[in-house]
Amino acid sequence: MEVCRALEQGDKEEERILSDISSSLKLFERKRSNLIPLLQMIQKRHGYIPPMGMVLLAQHLDLSPSHVYGVATFYNQFRFNPPGKHPIKVCLGTACHVKGGEIILENFERKLGIKAGETTRDREFSLDRVACVGCCALAPVAIVNDKVEGHMTPSKVEGIILSLEIEKEKKKREADKDDTE
Amino acid sequence: MDKNANIVNLIVDGKEIKASEGANLLRVCLDNEIYVPNLCYLKEMEHPPASCRLCFVAIEGYPQPVTSCTEVVREGMVVMTDTPEVRRLQKSAFELLLSVRRISFCKTCIANKRCGLQKIARFLGVKLRVAHLNRIDVDREVDHTHPYLDYDPDKCVLCERCIFVCGNINKTPMLSLAHRGLNTSVTFFESAAILENSCKGCGACVEICPVGALTLKSHNKVTG
Amino acid sequence: MTPNDNRSSIEKEYASLREEAKLRLKRLRETGQPNIYIGMATCGRAAGAIETKEAFEESLFKRDIQARIIPVGCMGHCYAEPLVLIEQSGFPTICYHQVTPGKARILVQNFLEGGDPCLEYVLGAMQPNDMLPCVTDFPRFGMEKRVVMEHCGLIDPDDICQYIARGGYAALVKALKMQPEEIIAQIKTSGLRGRGGAGFPTWKKWTIAREANSDRKIVICNADEGDPGAYMDRTILESNPHQVLEGLAICALAVGAEQGIFYIRAEYPLAVEKINNAIKAAREKHLLGPNILGSGFSLEISLFQGSGAFVCGEETALIKSIQGERGMPQVRPPFPALKGVWEFPTVINNVKTLASIPPIIRKGANWYAKIGTEKSSGTAIFSVVGDVVHPGLVEIPMGTTLRELIYDVCGGIPGRKKFKAVQIGGPSGGCLSEQFLDWPIDFDSLSEAGAMMGSGGMVVMNDESCMVEVARYFLDFTQKESCGKCTFCRIGTKHLLDILEAITKGEGTERDLELLQILSEDVKAGSLCGLGKTAPNPVLTTLRFFREEYEAHVFEKRCPAVMCRSLIAYYIDLDKCARGCDACMGSCPVDAIFTTKDRKKSIDQSKCVKCGECVSACPPEYDAVRKVSPPDRIPPEIVPQMEG
Repeated sequence: MEVCRALEQGDKEEERILSDISSSLKLFERKRSNLIPLLQMIQKRHGYIPPMGMVLLAQHLDLSPSHVYGVATFYNQFRFNPPGKHPIKVCLGTACHVKGGEIILENFERKLGIKAGETTRDREFSLDRVACVGCCALAPVAIVNDKVEGHMTPSKVEGIILSLEIEKEKKKREADKDDTE
Repeated sequence: MDKNANIVNLIVDGKEIKASEGANLLRVCLDNEIYVPNLCYLKEMEHPPASCRLCFVAIEGYPQPVTSCTEVVREGMVVMTDTPEVRRLQKSAFELLLSVRRISFCKTCIANKRCGLQKIARFLGVKLRVAHLNRIDVDREVDHTHPYLDYDPDKCVLCERCIFVCGNINKTPMLSLAHRGLNTSVTFFESAAILENSCKGCGACVEICPVGALTLKSHNKVTG
Repeated sequence: MTPNDNRSSIEKEYASLREEAKLRLKRLRETGQPNIYIGMATCGRAAGAIETKEAFEESLFKRDIQARIIPVGCMGHCYAEPLVLIEQSGFPTICYHQVTPGKARILVQNFLEGGDPCLEYVLGAMQPNDMLPCVTDFPRFGMEKRVVMEHCGLIDPDDICQYIARGGYAALVKALKMQPEEIIAQIKTSGLRGRGGAGFPTWKKWTIAREANSDRKIVICNADEGDPGAYMDRTILESNPHQVLEGLAICALAVGAEQGIFYIRAEYPLAVEKINNAIKAAREKHLLGPNILGSGFSLEISLFQGSGAFVCGEETALIKSIQGERGMPQVRPPFPALKGVWEFPTVINNVKTLASIPPIIRKGANWYAKIGTEKSSGTAIFSVVGDVVHPGLVEIPMGTTLRELIYDVCGGIPGRKKFKAVQIGGPSGGCLSEQFLDWPIDFDSLSEAGAMMGSGGMVVMNDESCMVEVARYFLDFTQKESCGKCTFCRIGTKHLLDILEAITKGEGTERDLELLQILSEDVKAGSLCGLGKTAPNPVLTTLRFFREEYEAHVFEKRCPAVMCRSLIAYYIDLDKCARGCDACMGSCPVDAIFTTKDRKKSIDQSKCVKCGECVSACPPEYDAVRKVSPPDRIPPEIVPQMEG
């Protein structure tokens, strides 16, 4: 039963996203050079690009869907599965690498139980490796919820995840309290 | 040869050749029965992708071998297709292509005996099993999603010929390259239902594939 | 109407802009309020500049002090972030380093209120004075020559008036009164070469496009800075976008283009924001848009965000991505300057190249040509990171030696460690050893040494860095960023990477070393584009200058730098370990450390992931954790026993 409900919700969610995509596509001129800006627009609004979104995009720009898919999969920026609530990106640029960026990534992987490029089951966290974010003097660097965390250490990894989890607990407790009130 | 173009004289492997000025050097060689290994070139292409990196030749005055598909003939050009430098690059590129494939494919492959790779292997005197390179296992599944075609990414050499011919027949090609780097492959990306309407199953892409990576479903069923 | 017909009207319009800008800034100063400039570029923010700014605001409010906080860009002194400048009457402008919120509160209380400039936080004064040492007395400032980054970190990037008041857009005005050929001649005299890496003469590119027969031409600013370790383009765009914009406008004027595109990585959101603001502000002042300053010359500039493909820094791939295609490099010719975006003649210049244009036009080509060396004029900007005391962005005259740059400007190697190598030019560059320290930095010397100017990334490494691992790292990068089009780059780099990986794991053979060399040469000679052609450089240079390190990995299964994780082990020196101290145990992420019979600590090698966290956790007075390579070098008496 629960699985069914989750699927239903998933479908509804995707339907909502697709209708949003088709209405926002109308605001853009139908020219081929808009392909990447449009993919960026979808990525920005929804955090990922659903397959049907690419078909809609192809129709809008009069391209074959395979072309859109080919372009989207070429660039690192685009994701094809929904991101976690707290996106975590670990920089593996030169300086971060020298200062042990891999170890930071490994610690996140171990703590969250997922590999880079994946999202935790509860969709709370997603983990990605990124090329240099340009904060080399602060290496190693991770980006948590779009905030740059410099001079990362394994213990800091633990601290970050713990604080996010505590925050979640707190919110949940507040919500529960509101409910009971 | 184009009747209206100026004629230029060039020498390839000691042989004097006349060709239209500005003609593609690889084409001129092939037309004059001088074989230069190639996989991604088609004579209809205005801008060949130059991606297979096999058609190297040495041209007098050039510091190192260049791909012949990206050169045009000039008056007085002296070309050699068989120098040690040329062969080294050709063999190297060819062995790299082989190093991502399984040789066990050949026996059951539709392209067996007429495969572009087998032909080049014979020509260069290279064994299909590359001893000094470890096999790179990209390991991707055969794409069965197309109503008429099957695509085997592990056989594909990414010559883009299929995309080119499909684009020539249909305004926008129904095939495209997808992903990047070592994971690059050809994609249909569409549900079978839509493809059934758009793709007429003309088989031009299957015909042009030099290595049997694209096959007709009907054929696969017959041979099991 | 040609631009020349209305010289006086252009002058007049600009003069009034300049007056207005100066007046505005003068009024700001006249109020007698102190000005607080806070470095708020990405790196400053990462170091906590936002918190620092909040602390200033809060503290000023609490003490009821009137002061202006002006967010500025970055001066490039990353080691000193967050960086704050305070302008207070009766004092020279003072530069403070590492201003934490706590220091910010103290500065407000003691300096702004109490009149004590807090000498302990001072980096230096910005002008010579008789009160404080001046920053230019320090080599990190004094040896630099700022042309491109002259105003970076000193002006508010969102306030066009600050740039104009310092002479900004005067070069565009000057160029509007020149013939396009004259502009190009000036660039030729200056000797400016493209700062994107290859060093192609800028004037040549411009001439090809100028002479191309087309009714539409396009100029592009290439800010697709993707080299790991290089971030100068981002800093320039975030700190002084108008100088780049002005350079792009002059370029458009010279080649006859009316359309400009900023191509910026989407990973640089702040730079995107600053450029958008700058374009808007310049349009409002008639410095962009239709009929610029009444000259008859029009230029529309749009912004295109790169989607994260390193290869798109390559011109033909960049063009493909603007056209909505996969960013795969194309065979040249045709060159973009003849047939570029949508087949129109297109000039693509790097951020630093374009930012060099306004000073050249304003101060004269000869002035610029005198900076640097004969064949490489001007300045070079490097982002120096890794093992140096003062990392950050440095702008130095070409011809400065590596030794001067590393030891004098950047303060040398910290912690009494030894210099080992410097990696120049990112993934396309090479690793140079000590023997090159006295070589001058310019385009030709660096390529002769086997490295490359590249986009200016420089990583300094001490003797704890493994050169095989460094080569592996860069190959891992290029292999992942290979577009997949041509055989050599797609498959060849993967083989190179696999071999390097095997060597760092101690699984390499003598045969592998040979294959590495041959394959590197083939990939270099056979690849289609610049990415593939230069990808083997890190391997080739390390093989050449650090061969003994490769051999140690292969023949002795030993990593001389004690870095490669498969070839090292940590153990705890029982003579030094203190009873009852649990520091290392708490730090271990995998619980590999246990207490021995005599209440000391030991590492379970089967659990250890070799993260090195215990090394930093162990109190310095004990300093008991050791690292060895190969792993079997752990002294036999250290075979530990669990607590009874």
